Amino acid sequence: MTTKHEESAVAHGKCMLNRRQFLLGATSAAATTTTITLFPGTAQAAPVKARVIGYPRKFLAKLSELKDHEPLAFNYPDDGKNTTCTLVKMGNVKAGGGIGPQRDIVAFSNLCTHQGGPLHGTYKVTGDQRTLGQCPFHLSVYDLRRHGIIVSGQAYQSLPQIMLELEGDDIYAVGMMGLLFGRHENLMNT
Amino acid sequence: MSTNYYLPEDSVPLPPKHAEVLTTCCDYCIVACAYKVYRWPLGSGDGGPKASENAFGIDFPSNPLQDWVAPAQHNVVMHKSIPHNVVITPNKDATTVNTNGDSSIRGGLIAQKCYNPKTPTRDRLSTPLMRIYGILQPVPWDFALDVAAEVAKHVIAKHGANAYSVKTYSYQFIENTYAITKYALRHINTASFTFHDTPSDVTSTPGFRDAGFDNFGPSYDDWASADVLMCLGTDPYETKTILFTQHIMPGVYNGMKLIMVNPRETAGVAFAKKMGGLHLDVYPGTDTVLLGAIARIVLENGWQDNEWLKKWVNNKWESNSGFGQGTRNTPWQWRTTWGKFQTKGFEDYKEWLLSQPEYELDKAAELTGVDAAKIRTAAEWIAKPKADGTRVKASFGIEKGFYWSNNTGNTNAISSLATICGAGGRPGQVVGRFGGHQRGGRRGGKLPRNKSPEKVPGRRRRALDTDRWLVSGHTRMAHVIGTTWIQAMSGSQGLQQRFHELVVTNPHQVRTYDKQEIIDTLKARADSGGMVVINQDIYLRNPIGAQFSDIVFPAATWGEEDFMRANGERRLRLYQKFYDAPGDAKPDWWIIAQLAKRMGFDGFDWKNSNDVAEESSRFSRGGRKAYHMLKIYAHRQGRTLHEQLRLLGADGIQGPTFINEKGELKGTKRLHDTTMTAEMIAERYGDNGPGEANMVNKKMTHFNTQTGKVNLQKHPWSLFSDFWTWLKPKDDELWFSNGRINEIWQSGFDDVERRPYITQRWPENFVEVHPDDAKARGIESGDYVMMYSDRVAAQKDTIIGVHNDHFQFSELMKRGHIELSKAAVTAVAVVTPHIKKGMMYANMLDTRQPSNALSARVVDHISGNYNYKMGVAKVQKIGESQYKKEFRSMSFAPRNIT
Repeated sequence: MTTKHEESAVAHGKCMLNRRQFLLGATSAAATTTTITLFPGTAQAAPVKARVIGYPRKFLAKLSELKDHEPLAFNYPDDGKNTTCTLVKMGNVKAGGGIGPQRDIVAFSNLCTHQGGPLHGTYKVTGDQRTLGQCPFHLSVYDLRRHGIIVSGQAYQSLPQIMLELEGDDIYAVGMMGLLFGRHENLMNT
Repeated sequence: MSTNYYLPEDSVPLPPKHAEVLTTCCDYCIVACAYKVYRWPLGSGDGGPKASENAFGIDFPSNPLQDWVAPAQHNVVMHKSIPHNVVITPNKDATTVNTNGDSSIRGGLIAQKCYNPKTPTRDRLSTPLMRIYGILQPVPWDFALDVAAEVAKHVIAKHGANAYSVKTYSYQFIENTYAITKYALRHINTASFTFHDTPSDVTSTPGFRDAGFDNFGPSYDDWASADVLMCLGTDPYETKTILFTQHIMPGVYNGMKLIMVNPRETAGVAFAKKMGGLHLDVYPGTDTVLLGAIARIVLENGWQDNEWLKKWVNNKWESNSGFGQGTRNTPWQWRTTWGKFQTKGFEDYKEWLLSQPEYELDKAAELTGVDAAKIRTAAEWIAKPKADGTRVKASFGIEKGFYWSNNTGNTNAISSLATICGAGGRPGQVVGRFGGHQRGGRRGGKLPRNKSPEKVPGRRRRALDTDRWLVSGHTRMAHVIGTTWIQAMSGSQGLQQRFHELVVTNPHQVRTYDKQEIIDTLKARADSGGMVVINQDIYLRNPIGAQFSDIVFPAATWGEEDFMRANGERRLRLYQKFYDAPGDAKPDWWIIAQLAKRMGFDGFDWKNSNDVAEESSRFSRGGRKAYHMLKIYAHRQGRTLHEQLRLLGADGIQGPTFINEKGELKGTKRLHDTTMTAEMIAERYGDNGPGEANMVNKKMTHFNTQTGKVNLQKHPWSLFSDFWTWLKPKDDELWFSNGRINEIWQSGFDDVERRPYITQRWPENFVEVHPDDAKARGIESGDYVMMYSDRVAAQKDTIIGVHNDHFQFSELMKRGHIELSKAAVTAVAVVTPHIKKGMMYANMLDTRQPSNALSARVVDHISGNYNYKMGVAKVQKIGESQYKKEFRSMSFAPRNIT
């Protein structure tokens, strides 16, 4: 396998959630997987070493300035190819990996993980469901409340989700779940 | 088994320059997209992101539509006992099928199929098992084969060949199906034989067969060249994805209109509507009425294609030539005896159709639940001549939702409607099945139908119904190959109960270490009226393997042996071996050969799969995917059949194959090709017609009938309406139907349980319920529900039909041949407006929560097929599932978002 960027989460000091915990999201089941949980500043944090990826911490927006259902474009984890992403506040519906008081703020890659189709402008509200798609290439649709899982379509994985962190009013991107289309590693020297 | 705790990866190795590249095709749906396997030894260095550093020869990050490797497309396998990386990605060189390397979610994830003990494939069967003291214990091949063969010989000698029942897949590669059918049909010669999807060995589409249409006549690009394409009983986007995305979708962008006949509005239906198409949302089982109403509008307005009808439809005398006369044992004969289907040509059909009260528009709208205006629009689209008087080109494609709800009626109706619209064997005007599994069947023997005890009115015997035969206790040894048998059939819980009685509760169970005693015990079980079960599969299935099998043979499969197979446009390709089968697993042809030799049968001395393929080729002559000439061509070049097919690579060749006068190898774009010119014929066969071993029959340029013209058939609702009326929801019941879904179509046998991403999407059985029906029952998305019925009908007796109506459902009921039982299946509710109000739709085969438990175990009385899609059930909430509150898995978003 290729080399992965590994380091101590504690040293990194920026990643609020490990990947597993992130996936478990809002469920009560999170308590069952705390053996490697990393909450800086808590008792568990200090001695634990876990592999996290050295993603940059990038300021995205101010919570107070986000409007419901108005997606915001940004690039992550760098400004190279295939890094276009969308941040959106989904109007008081709780989402896996969502932040903010309503846990309704999420961010995802904007490239379909099937064949790299652009998903810009495909954010949809259907009742209490929130989706990206249909992809203009082959009609894939992704569920933004459920970590970007495929609703219907041809992708090989969920839409890569950007891990977010809220510090005061500031929203930061701090990591990514899943591989961006076209990349063999998310962190490439492009 | 996989769980829904799927953690995405964020890196993947790229294949290096030194990776070996092999071609193969996807193992799953009918389309069979071309894939490339990149293989390189573990630790030999991975590829880099520069074009000069990887096997794709492109820079990473790659661009949209270029090669890319998703983490799920990488695996580690053993090749010649040395660990290797494999990356399996769609073949970007493909110029046919998945043009430019398109892929579906199923094929896209196929690298995960490979056996790797670190993944949920770890429970692949890798050694023969024998149930000793109630436990399936590993035993050597010789031990397992000796016992199986001894018991089989005894059962056949003492109880007759029909006591040995063979239930097998029909598609899992030409070499295997040839070996299995040679063994079962030619040598054992049992009438108790059938395929995975039907209780008896009968045609899936009786209407097509009798009209003269091959199921797979059209070429994939034919589906893109109509003005209007009517898709019935399927959303091709979900279930033959690449046929849709690479052929139908471009057609739509070029102006082709889609008419989707389907009670659900899934992504392809939503796309069709968005592009100006029509959605006819029928109630289950009412397609015949819908098509009758459309045909009526066409005929009332005189929109039929008179020129086509005159040239290509049998008239009175032609209809009667070759069948319908006397009592010959033809598939046609007994039906025509009834006078229920045969017409004297177009005018007779028209007169009949216009006299059917159900096909009047208002009545049809009421029965089908489809808006009358939409029915009228559909008729106009497919048949109303354009302003300049020219005809609209309409094509018609069907699949399981259609032909497994009123098997004979629906397939008759579409054949007739298509014919009056002038469709059949010309570009933009074709009729066919879109297809389910791939076409890997090659018969090495003929079903001895005359050994079947069941006789239908007239003098014709009907193929033996293996389920009813078993339920009646006549099956003493069941040989099950690559199918669940039980959950795949209808009224499945009753069938499972009978398996249990015959196998598990029989007192003769193996409780000894001695081989001869084991053999004697199993013989005693068969002799006492019980049943012995042997099973060949890649995983241990529950219950057929886990609960009922006495002996389990581990099978090698896709990627573990060189195999050949065709897709839905008859395109033959080689599926190459690229890694070692797990443990001691062997291909099915090998397992069958070992058994056959022990039973004293000759002709099973094959050395490898190419030997089997080459032996089988002559039996393919005259068939839709004939590859005999391909073999002859290969031999002339000094190659084997498999080597030749390997050279043909991603695009393979479309059957039937020919060698022309110049010695060139030729394939066949379309069957029933009524537009072939003399030049085209000369190009394919030569100026003097087909020579040498070339075999050309009617289906190349005409239809599969006695005259080569189409039989225009009646499609009376009355043959089905008594069942439909009895079945339709009473009280609090809803229609209950089931089927495949995009993410697990034709891949459920290893996908949904062992592909973490798919398991995360569909961790268990689901049922779609319309919001109004859900609200009335207090059901929300994510609730666990119980679907149940106390009137699952099962036909219990093998009868001798004398009078015309003896097999009619109401008559069977009246005469006490139908038994009503209860069934219950759980599921997670998905409350969604994309399902028609008044019906539910569940996954067709979650082995733990089998939907078919709720469908009637009563065959279509003309064809002998089950109408799997027809059921009713009550539904109630029994609690909340974990998926309701968490966000990790499943999704409750509707499938019709555009």
